[in-house]
Amino acid sequence: MDMPLPHAERFFEIRFESIGGLGAHAAGQVLASAAVLRMGLNGAHFSSYGSEKKGSLVRSFVRLGQAELPIRTSAPVEKPDVIVVFHAALLQNPASFAGLRADGTLIYNARPGPAPQELAALPRGARVIRVDALGIAVRAKSRPNAVLLGTLCGAFPFLRADVVLEELTQEFAGRHPEAVASNERAFRAGASEFETLEAVGRAQGDLPVAYSEPAWGYETQPLGGIIPAPGNTAWNDLSMSRTGWLPLLDRGKCIHCGLCDLVCPDQCLVWADGEEGGKFERELMGIDYRYCKGCLRCIESCPTAAMAKSEETPGLADRLRVPLFPGLIG
Amino acid sequence: MTTLSATLPRTGADVPAPAAARQKLEFRSGNEAAALAARDIGYHLMGYFPITPSTEIAENLSEMQANGEHDIVMVAGDGEHGAAGICYGAALGGGRVLNATSAQGLLYALEQLPVQAGTRVPMVLNVAARSVSGPLDIRGDHSDLYYALNTGWIILCARDPQAVYDLNFAAIRIGEHLDVRLPVLIAYDGFITSHQKRRIQVFDDPEAIAGFLGVRPDFPSPLDTEHPATFGPYMNDPDLINNKVQLSQAMEAARRVIPEVLADLEAMTGRAYPVLDAYRMDDAEVASVLVNSAAETAKETADELRARGERAGVLSPNVLRPFPAEEFRRALRRVKAVTIGDRADSYGAGGGNLSLEVRAAIQVDPANRTRVLSRIYGLGGKDFYAADAEQFFAQAIDAAASGKVSEPFAYHGATPGKPGAGPRPGLPAITAAEVSRPMAHVRRDSATGRLAVELEPLWKMTSVPNRIAPGHGACPGCGTFPVLNQVYRVMQGNIVVLFQTGCAMVVTTGYPATAHRINYIHNLFQNGAATLSGLVEMYHERVRRGELPASRDITFVMVTGDGGMDIGMGSALGAAHRNHPMLILEYDNQGYMNTGAQLSYSTPFGHRTSTSEVGSRLPGKRYHHKDTAQIFSACHLPYVFTASEGYPEDLMRKAAKAQWYAKREGLVYGKVLSFCPLNWRAADDAAQPILQAAVDSCFFPLYEVEHGHTSITYDPEASGRLHPVSDWLGQMGKTRHLVKSENASILQGIQQETDRRWRRLKAMHAHPDL
Repeated sequence: MDMPLPHAERFFEIRFESIGGLGAHAAGQVLASAAVLRMGLNGAHFSSYGSEKKGSLVRSFVRLGQAELPIRTSAPVEKPDVIVVFHAALLQNPASFAGLRADGTLIYNARPGPAPQELAALPRGARVIRVDALGIAVRAKSRPNAVLLGTLCGAFPFLRADVVLEELTQEFAGRHPEAVASNERAFRAGASEFETLEAVGRAQGDLPVAYSEPAWGYETQPLGGIIPAPGNTAWNDLSMSRTGWLPLLDRGKCIHCGLCDLVCPDQCLVWADGEEGGKFERELMGIDYRYCKGCLRCIESCPTAAMAKSEETPGLADRLRVPLFPGLIG
Repeated sequence: MTTLSATLPRTGADVPAPAAARQKLEFRSGNEAAALAARDIGYHLMGYFPITPSTEIAENLSEMQANGEHDIVMVAGDGEHGAAGICYGAALGGGRVLNATSAQGLLYALEQLPVQAGTRVPMVLNVAARSVSGPLDIRGDHSDLYYALNTGWIILCARDPQAVYDLNFAAIRIGEHLDVRLPVLIAYDGFITSHQKRRIQVFDDPEAIAGFLGVRPDFPSPLDTEHPATFGPYMNDPDLINNKVQLSQAMEAARRVIPEVLADLEAMTGRAYPVLDAYRMDDAEVASVLVNSAAETAKETADELRARGERAGVLSPNVLRPFPAEEFRRALRRVKAVTIGDRADSYGAGGGNLSLEVRAAIQVDPANRTRVLSRIYGLGGKDFYAADAEQFFAQAIDAAASGKVSEPFAYHGATPGKPGAGPRPGLPAITAAEVSRPMAHVRRDSATGRLAVELEPLWKMTSVPNRIAPGHGACPGCGTFPVLNQVYRVMQGNIVVLFQTGCAMVVTTGYPATAHRINYIHNLFQNGAATLSGLVEMYHERVRRGELPASRDITFVMVTGDGGMDIGMGSALGAAHRNHPMLILEYDNQGYMNTGAQLSYSTPFGHRTSTSEVGSRLPGKRYHHKDTAQIFSACHLPYVFTASEGYPEDLMRKAAKAQWYAKREGLVYGKVLSFCPLNWRAADDAAQPILQAAVDSCFFPLYEVEHGHTSITYDPEASGRLHPVSDWLGQMGKTRHLVKSENASILQGIQQETDRRWRRLKAMHAHPDL
C-alpha cells in the first residue's frame, strides 16, 4: 500500500550536498524517477553544477508532491525537508544546512564518532542521522550514493525502499550489470545501518535561507571582468576532492630527482634549497595537502618508492601538510 | 478539446484530422524531451556542434542510434557555423532537418539564420537558451535568443520539458505549411529546463504522429534534376525588398496557421498552448510578463497574492515570432500596472526586447492606460525565486495604487558590492629574475641549421616558480597541467598566454579567482589564434614606435584543446599562413572533455564518446582522427612538433625549441597528447602506461618538423618497444570494446591506418627534403 507524503498540500523537498564524482546527481535521479514512474507521485529533479568536472561542489535537488499537485517553480530548493551531506568535510560549510526546516532531517556520511560541533547550528527539533556511507560502500564494493539512498529510504518509509531499489537496479542493469548486486548490498546496508543522534541541534525554528553574495558587486567589480589578482586560486582548499586516499612522502627514500613534480597536476609538491654542503641542492620537503586531489600520479612516477598510497584517516593530511606558501596561506 | 473543421488549411500533404493519441508517462529533462521528439519525428538528418547546455540532445540521439532506436543521420559539424551550413544544405535537399545549440553557438550560426528564412527553407532548431559571452557564462538567460528575433524564423517558447516535446511536433507542421514555409526555432531555458527532469507524456502512437506531421511538401530542391533551378542568386535593390515582403507575409500567415496547428496538437494530446498564455488574467489589475520558466514560478506567487486579495495574473508568450501584439493588447487593456521581466537587456534601449515590444503593442491602443515597469533579471543563470516574483508584483501593485512609476527601467537582483570588500588577493608577481635562469640551453647546429637542446637536471627546474598557481579546479589526474608545467619550466622570460575555450580555461579562471600568475586572455572558442596574432602585432608595433620597451621580450603562447583546433582551425591556419611570431600549443585529450566528452575530429576511430556511443548497432566513432600536425606542417612553418606528457624530457626540449622559433622566426605549432582519466575511463594514476602504449603502438608518434625536415624523436620500432594498438586500446574504458572478438575487423582497420601513417612518417624522416 502506498504511504502518503508527509504534507499533502506542499512539496517534500530534498537537497543533496556533494562533490562532483560522488554520485549525488545519480542518486537524485534514481529517487525522483522511482517516485514519478513507480510510486505515482509528481516530481522534479535537477542539479546545480558547472562544467563536467570531478571534485567540484554539486547540489542536487528533488521535489516530490501528490500526483495532482502541479510543479511550476524550477528554482533550487530553499527550505528542504531533508538535507543529505555526501562528504563530512561539507559539514564545515554553514551553507550546507541553509534553510533546513525546524522539523527537518539531516543525513550525513561520516565514520562513527561524536557529532561534529558544526551540527549545533541545526534546528533543535531536527532529526540527525549519521551513516558510514564510505565504509559501507567499500565493504559492498559499491559507491556512497547507493548507501545514502538506502538511508534516505530507511529514514522515510513513504519513500518505498523496494521501489527505489528497483529503479536503482534498472539504472545500472544496462551499462553496469556487474554493479547491480553490490549496489543492492550497499543500499540495504544503508537502509538499516544508520544511527540517529540525539540532542544535536541548538537553533530555534527553521534555519535561514542562504543566498551567496558575490565578492565584488557592480560598484566594486573591476571593469571589463578582469581579475587583477594573479594566482588567487591558491586560497582554494581542494582537500574535499580526495576520495579516501592520499600520497605519503618518505623523505628517507627520496632522491629528490624531480620526476614527481613533472606529473603532479596540482602543484602541491613543496621544494626548497638543500642544506648548505648537503647532498642535494634542491629537496622535496613534502606535500601541501590543501591542493592535493589524491590522483596518486606522483606515486606512479617515483623511481624509489618514496611516495606511497595511504588511506586518509581524519587529521592525517593536516598533521603532515607542508605549506606551499608559508606566511601567506597558513 | 477543440473540434476541427475539415476545411482548415494544412501542409501540402493530405493530413487527416487528428484524434487523441496514445501516450505514456516519462520522467525527462527538456533536452531529453527534445531528443525523444526528434526520434519520434524521425528527422532525416541532424547537423550539430556541441555546446552547453544543448549538447545532450545530440548525446541522447547518439546513444539511441547506437542501439538502433532511430536512423537519423547525425553529422557533427566543425563548429556551429559549419553545423548550420550542414543543416541548410540538408534542408535544401528536401528532408526534415534538426539542429540544436546555445549561446555562442547560436551567434556563430547566426549568419545562416536569415539566409535560411529568406530562401524559405524550413527546418527546426532547438535553442537551450544561455547567456552570450563577454565574459563567458555557461548558464541560462535569453541573451542568445534575442539575437534571433530579427532573422525571420518562427520562434516558439517552451516553458517546461513537456512543452519542449510537444512544440517540436508543432514546429514541423508550422514551418512546412505552404503559407508559411519558414524555419522554426524552439527556445527553452538552459539548465533550468534543459537539465531539469519532470513528469511528461510522450506519444506511444507512431500512426498518430505520422498522421499529425504528414509528409514534408516538395519544395523546390537542387536534388530535383528534372526541374533545374538556381538556389541563392545575388539580388540587389529593386528585388530584395520584395523577397522581404514575402517573408513578412509568411510571418503574417503564421499568425493564422500557428493557432490551427496548436489546436490540432491539443486535440491529440489534451494539452493547450495558446499563443499568449494568460494565467488568472480575467480580472487582473496587476500582472507580470515573463518568458518561459520564470513565468511558471510567478504563477505560484500570483496564486498566493490572489489568496491575499490582490488581483494578480501572469502573461507569458508561447510564440515570440510572430509577436502576439494583439493578444497582449487585449490581455493588458484593463490592467493597471505590469512588470515586464527580460532575461536579457537591449543595452541603452530602456528595456529588454520583450518589454519594448509589449510597450509598442499597447501604445497603439488608445484606450490603454497600463503603467509599465521594465526589469532585467536572471542574467547568466541567476535563479528566479518566488521572492523575485513577489517583488515584481509588489512594484506593479505600488504603481497601480499610486498611478506613478517611480523607476520605469531597472536591473533586478544585482549586487552593489561593499567598499573595500573583494575576493582574496593574488600571489606576488613572478619577477623577471625568477624566470630568467635558463633550464634549457638551445644552440643552432651550424652544419644542419637545426636546434640542439640541453636540459638542466629535473630537480634544478623545481626552482622555477610555476606560472600557474595551485587551487585550480581540474579533475584529479588531469594531464593538461603536467603539460603546462613541463612547457612553462623550460620557457624563459615574460609569457603572455591565450587559452581557447576548454577544460584548462574553465578550471583556471572561475570568477573571481584565477590560477594564472601571468597575463592571460580568453576570447572565443574559435578565435584564439586570430586574437593572439593581433596582440602580437600590436606589441611589435608599439615597441617600434617606442611606446613599449623592447626589453619586455614577451613570448606569446596560445593554449588550446583538440576541440579548439576543430572550430578554431580556420583562424589558426590563417595565423599560421601569416607566420606571426607565436606558439600554438594543443593539449590533445581526444574529445570535447569540458562539455562532457563529445567527439572531436581528433578522437580516434572507434573510441566511445558521448556523441559516438557504443551499442548493439554502432561501435564508436566512425572516421579516423585528424592529423593536425601534418596540416600545420603543410603551412611550411619554422617548427611543428608532437609530444606527450608521458615523455617529459622530449616535450621540454621541443618546448624550448618552440620558444626559440616563436620569438625569432614565426609561428610554431605543437600537439601534445594529454591524459583525461574521467573521459578515457581510466584510473586517475594510469597516465603513464596508457600514454606509453599510445606512443609505442605508433598511434601517436613523437616527431618534429624543423624547417620542413621531419625527424622522429622516439622510434619504438628501433628501440624494440613496438606494440600493437590493442595493447593501448585495452587499457581504457572508452576503447575496451574494440579489443573484443566481435570488433576484430575494426581493430584491424585501426592497426592498418596506424601502420600506414607510421610508414609514411618514417619515409619522411628518411628523405632529406621531407
